[in-house]
Amino acid sequence: MNNAIDIERLHYRVGKAFEIKDLDLHIPTGSIYGFLGPNGSGKTTTIRLILGLLRPLSGRITVLGDPMPEQHARVLGRIGYVPEQPHLDGTLTVRELIDFQSAFYPRWDRTRADELVQRFELDGDQLFGRLSKGQKAKLMILLALAQCGDLLVLDEPTDGLDPVVRRDILSALLTYVSERRATIFISSHLVHELERVCDWVAVMDNGRLITEAPMEKLKHGTKRLIVTGAPGEISNAPFRVLIREATNGAGENWVVGDWEPGMTSFFDGLGATVRDVIDLDLEDGFVELLRSFRTKAGGRA
Amino acid sequence: MTAMFRAILYIQWKWSHLIIVLGTVAGFAIPLLSLQGAARADRGALQTPELLRAVQSWGTLYPLLATALGLLMAIAAWAADHRGRHIHALTLPLERWRYVLLRFGAGFVLLAAPIAAVLIGSSLAVLTATLPPGLQAYPIGLAVRFALAVFVAYAVFFAVSAGTARTAGIILAAIAAIILVQVVAGIANIDLNLFGVAQTVLLLGPGPLAVFTARWMLVDV
Repeated sequence: MNNAIDIERLHYRVGKAFEIKDLDLHIPTGSIYGFLGPNGSGKTTTIRLILGLLRPLSGRITVLGDPMPEQHARVLGRIGYVPEQPHLDGTLTVRELIDFQSAFYPRWDRTRADELVQRFELDGDQLFGRLSKGQKAKLMILLALAQCGDLLVLDEPTDGLDPVVRRDILSALLTYVSERRATIFISSHLVHELERVCDWVAVMDNGRLITEAPMEKLKHGTKRLIVTGAPGEISNAPFRVLIREATNGAGENWVVGDWEPGMTSFFDGLGATVRDVIDLDLEDGFVELLRSFRTKAGGRA
Repeated sequence: MTAMFRAILYIQWKWSHLIIVLGTVAGFAIPLLSLQGAARADRGALQTPELLRAVQSWGTLYPLLATALGLLMAIAAWAADHRGRHIHALTLPLERWRYVLLRFGAGFVLLAAPIAAVLIGSSLAVLTATLPPGLQAYPIGLAVRFALAVFVAYAVFFAVSAGTARTAGIILAAIAAIILVQVVAGIANIDLNLFGVAQTVLLLGPGPLAVFTARWMLVDV
């Protein structure tokens, strides 16, 4: 089994307002897979489909080798899940929630749970409803990690948290992955955060997958080019043209994907000149990808 | 599965212990109070008809208590899941029907306390009272009937509470439709008694709710 999650030609619709169409995702086993997208792009819906909480209209979802949602009971025993909004009962204490959760997971690691209670400085007698946002997030991570799952599915786990808590959580996740060689599927719109930890990344917008690539390829393959003398139409380019627009001065501003060193020679053949190749960080690349996708989608509509 | 049941039982107890304690006290007290007019060593007895009337009027409290317990326990069983939009329950690694069964079972186990209280209270009341000739005590029968009523009430309300707001809306809409049809039929002078039909189907034997309308007599002829 090479992939922890395989999604093929997934189709799901909520009313007439939103649909996920022809979604293909392949999350390699052992990877930390970032799932990027703006709010409302379909990240949480996709996660709920992966967990078997929703049933797709068509397509295939395989998680840890088993089809979902058919085998949800078996698969969920191997998945640690942290939802976007903490959903636990506010009238139970931290200790009661840990005890409750432990009863459902045969691989529950009590030592790890106790260690994380100490490390996150959680008070076992505190009611969940009285915890701060950061403490709630830490408890959710604790519950997911102590299950000793092979896959962690995290839906914006650090959204709205202060940098110290974010760092604590990410550090706990990285420790877990290094110890267990687990797969992490983490959705977020905090691009910089994913950039630091992920080795694969997918970008989604409006229910469609824009790209899925290794982090290094996406980071280093997305460039801004300043080009002069290029013809209006080009064909057989060895890279993807995401954006092409005129600049204020002479020349054009291109944003390209799948760029590799040496590809400037392609422009020589066109009689054009690449005056500059500018590196984009993941956030810039993410924004340009979205802009390109939306322009094309707008053009089709 | 035992560990899961224990875990669910514990949190359900935490959510509903006040209901259970009050229900248990009431279940214990009602039979004792219903026979307070019976003869005791220190005072005279009510006549048979008065005693039966007293027992009968106290008896109306049993189905009310059973209904209240069923309703409140069902609400308590699902309240936290509703608040969390069922995400936690749906992501637990067990089949959904099994989870529902565990929740239902835990609630019913907790309801055993008020049922046992009715049995103990009834037995104690009968043991400490002297019944007029010709009257018989039915403490076990009453407790079994109470258990059945609690079970039916809990099951019905548990099923309704388990549903979404849409389900509740459908049920309310159905009731509203029946009322509307009845009102329209009354205005149009059409001989239609939907409430009578509903009462016959649901509340009279062998209807599913017939247990609530039977005689709830701790002491009877």
